[in-house]
Amino acid sequence: TRLADGTPRRSIQLSNIVEQRIFDNNEIISTPKRSRSKLADDADYTPKKSTHKSPGRPRRMSTTGTSTKQKEDAPMTPSQKMKKIRAGELSPSMEQRHQQLDVGHKSQLQLAREQLHVSVVPKSLPCREKEFDNIYSFLEGKIQDQCGGCMYVSGVPGTGKTATVTGVIRTLQRLVEQDKLPAFEFLEINGMRLTEPRQAYVQIYKQLTGKTVSWEHAHSLLEKRFTTPAPRRLTTVLLVDELDILCNRRQDVVYNLLDWPTKSAAHLVVVTIANTMDLPERLLMGKVTSRLGLTRLTFQPYTHKQLQEIVTARLAGSEAFKGEAVQLVARKVAAVSGDARRALDICRRATEIADTGSEPTANAATKCVTMLHVQQALGEMIASAKVQAIKNCSRMEQIFLQAVAAEVTRTGVEETMFHGVYTQIETIATFMGVALPAPGRALNICSKLGAERLIICEHSRNDLFQKILLNVSPDDIHYALRVEGN
Amino acid sequence: EPEQPPLPSPPRNKYQNARRVLNSAETLNLPGREEQLQELREFFSSHLDTQTSGSLYVSGQPGTGKTACLSMLLRAPEYAQRLQRVYINCTSIASVGAVYKKLCMELQLKPTGRTERDHLEAIQRHLRKAKRMLLLVLDEIDQLSTTRQEVLYTIFEWPALPGARILLVGIANSLDLTDRALMRLNARCELKPRLMHFPPYTKPQIVEIFKSRLAEAQVLDVFPPVTLQLLAAKVSAVSGDVRRALDIGRRVVEIAEQQKCAGEKEFNMKALELDGPPAEETLKPVQVSQVAAVLNKVYGASQNLEEDIEEAFPLQQKLMLCSLVLMLRNERNKDISVGRLHEVYRRVCSKRNILALDQAEFAGTVDLVETRGILRVMRKKEPRLNKVLLQWDEEEVHAALSDKQLIASILSDTACLAK
Repeated sequence: TRLADGTPRRSIQLSNIVEQRIFDNNEIISTPKRSRSKLADDADYTPKKSTHKSPGRPRRMSTTGTSTKQKEDAPMTPSQKMKKIRAGELSPSMEQRHQQLDVGHKSQLQLAREQLHVSVVPKSLPCREKEFDNIYSFLEGKIQDQCGGCMYVSGVPGTGKTATVTGVIRTLQRLVEQDKLPAFEFLEINGMRLTEPRQAYVQIYKQLTGKTVSWEHAHSLLEKRFTTPAPRRLTTVLLVDELDILCNRRQDVVYNLLDWPTKSAAHLVVVTIANTMDLPERLLMGKVTSRLGLTRLTFQPYTHKQLQEIVTARLAGSEAFKGEAVQLVARKVAAVSGDARRALDICRRATEIADTGSEPTANAATKCVTMLHVQQALGEMIASAKVQAIKNCSRMEQIFLQAVAAEVTRTGVEETMFHGVYTQIETIATFMGVALPAPGRALNICSKLGAERLIICEHSRNDLFQKILLNVSPDDIHYALRVEGN
Repeated sequence: EPEQPPLPSPPRNKYQNARRVLNSAETLNLPGREEQLQELREFFSSHLDTQTSGSLYVSGQPGTGKTACLSMLLRAPEYAQRLQRVYINCTSIASVGAVYKKLCMELQLKPTGRTERDHLEAIQRHLRKAKRMLLLVLDEIDQLSTTRQEVLYTIFEWPALPGARILLVGIANSLDLTDRALMRLNARCELKPRLMHFPPYTKPQIVEIFKSRLAEAQVLDVFPPVTLQLLAAKVSAVSGDVRRALDIGRRVVEIAEQQKCAGEKEFNMKALELDGPPAEETLKPVQVSQVAAVLNKVYGASQNLEEDIEEAFPLQQKLMLCSLVLMLRNERNKDISVGRLHEVYRRVCSKRNILALDQAEFAGTVDLVETRGILRVMRKKEPRLNKVLLQWDEEEVHAALSDKQLIASILSDTACLAK
């Protein structure tokens, strides 16, 4: 069958049951040895993205009929396999673990760490109720009215944009199941997952039908679908993440994605997400901005109170964290970016530090993350490695850095020439009583510091006249060297 | 499969009807564009009567109804007999040269080969001996513009082909595309396209559009005339783009509906207590204040930031912006690199006893502020050398930061600048 490219004999022995079970529901296979090799074959042509998320998918996955037909005709050639993949008849599967991991008793900290993982999206997002209502009423209105429209959602990374939008979609899908809302289709593309803007057509078409076709073909099919009226057309909600990646010079992809909703036959609602608040005015052409409309929503960075609420909601009654520890994380992160992912990551790091804490005698059950652990985690994550790097430089490199700083102070210009720096080195070296390096040696030092990015320098071929810029602040140099001196 | 009966749709109130009718999809009724439609009709019929070719270039700002007018005429039955009609949107072609292929498909021609040239020859053959006149509408024609302009010149030369009978209409936004991009057409008067401009909609026209749309669904009473006048005055003064006007109208209705629902909930709570009969459906027309609120939100881009921002502007970003303003105010050299800004920022922080971010983190902070549109960062080879340009003026920054004390203290602190 389909897996038997290398060793046909063995995989023919595989029972049909295995085959069907793979097709039916992506379940682990019970025969351990065989399944391993079999799935390893599978993994070879696994496309990057798992696609079983889209709601339109399960209908077409019921290909048991074809699979029973397949088992008569033995191994497939690679091109046959490719054909099946492009037709969406083989679902990409991943290799499974040989055995289920034996998860014993988990400590408080481990549980907290799992809960704090960024990928665990809570059922309801705290502190985003207003935005949720806003998007919900927009989409609900569009679905009830059965007309098209666009919305633009913006905000800095980690403020819950995608999570809120998908949360709204999930709520709406639940309403559809309860027959409280007309049914709709949900498609989703992400600009970053596309190698090229036009691949968006391929992805959209793939989510509609499961087939992979070339972008020209996909575009013409989509155009046909959205421009010709069909009486029982469902409303389609299209989520476009990372919109700014889809903008090329011609902006034809963005134009088409936003022009389809204006067709009365399309019933298409496009929700676009990007980071930049003024992207439509900054990057998009006038005609595209006009089509994007004025329904916009901005996600503000989280404040420290909100971050605290988010973390405590995740921990949900666990005793693993001290209250003030959470508060410290929230305040530090809110002062810089208001990024929830960062707060969660720092908290996770703090649990790890607490886990491998200094006192091994302490009972694992009573271990708790305190201010000190958080402080250490913050030090690691918001750390400046520059001072350490300067401290660990060799003596001559330190003198070189001092010389650059001195030359900058002397000339008042940030950009210095190598010969000026070398004169300063001469002075400092004489002052300190160290042997002066030859200019060739000094160039070596210079290029080493340049590779470390402590300074910015040109190629050393124009030796004496190469320009040198300091990449660290002069204060850092003084600080690092003074503390060591004492 | 058993046919499921469609969901019993709940009785729609007037708000929902108004919301649905204010969509920006195609319509058959185009008030405010009578003149242009008349001119287009005259152009078509004069060329139809004399059976001569002609080209036309239609320009205008986005949302002024160019495509709507032409697609209405393309569907008009009076031309169905006498004209073969083709509409091509130039953004939907794969590359500039592929427009011939698309046209061949639309005309159902059979080219001899598969190259661009074969397709072009097939079209020219068709043009020479076509029975009916061809009306070719090329929407968003500026997409066909390249450096050599081969394709555009070829297309605009078709009307002058001996024996060809083609009416060519190009649609684009820019007023002078034909002069700018197609200078050589000026040399021969028969090649030069006739120009036609769609001016932005005026205030009475927008009012007229709203009235006709609302009357279509018999929900004219949702919008009192005063609110319509206000909306139209604002939109026509800013852009005259009817898509925006309809967008704002729809938004107003949505908000009015939400507010009414909230009001009803309270009312019902009271009614429950009183055990009175449920109140009958009454329509509350939208208020001037509601329209004004939406307009302010839409058009006061930076002003309304301040209300959302409040405390949501992270402290380090505030300090960064204040340092930038301080430098711009006091230094003659406005060429500020991230490195220079970072130096000043560190001094500002140390004076205020706040832990300063290091350079790598600081560069990320600058990028986050850039997404708000307050700054622009010009990329250079090294992150430290990136140039920072302030995009707002200081007054706006002050308003956005809304922390007057901090700003005042930093801006008076010129000692941080000097070495």
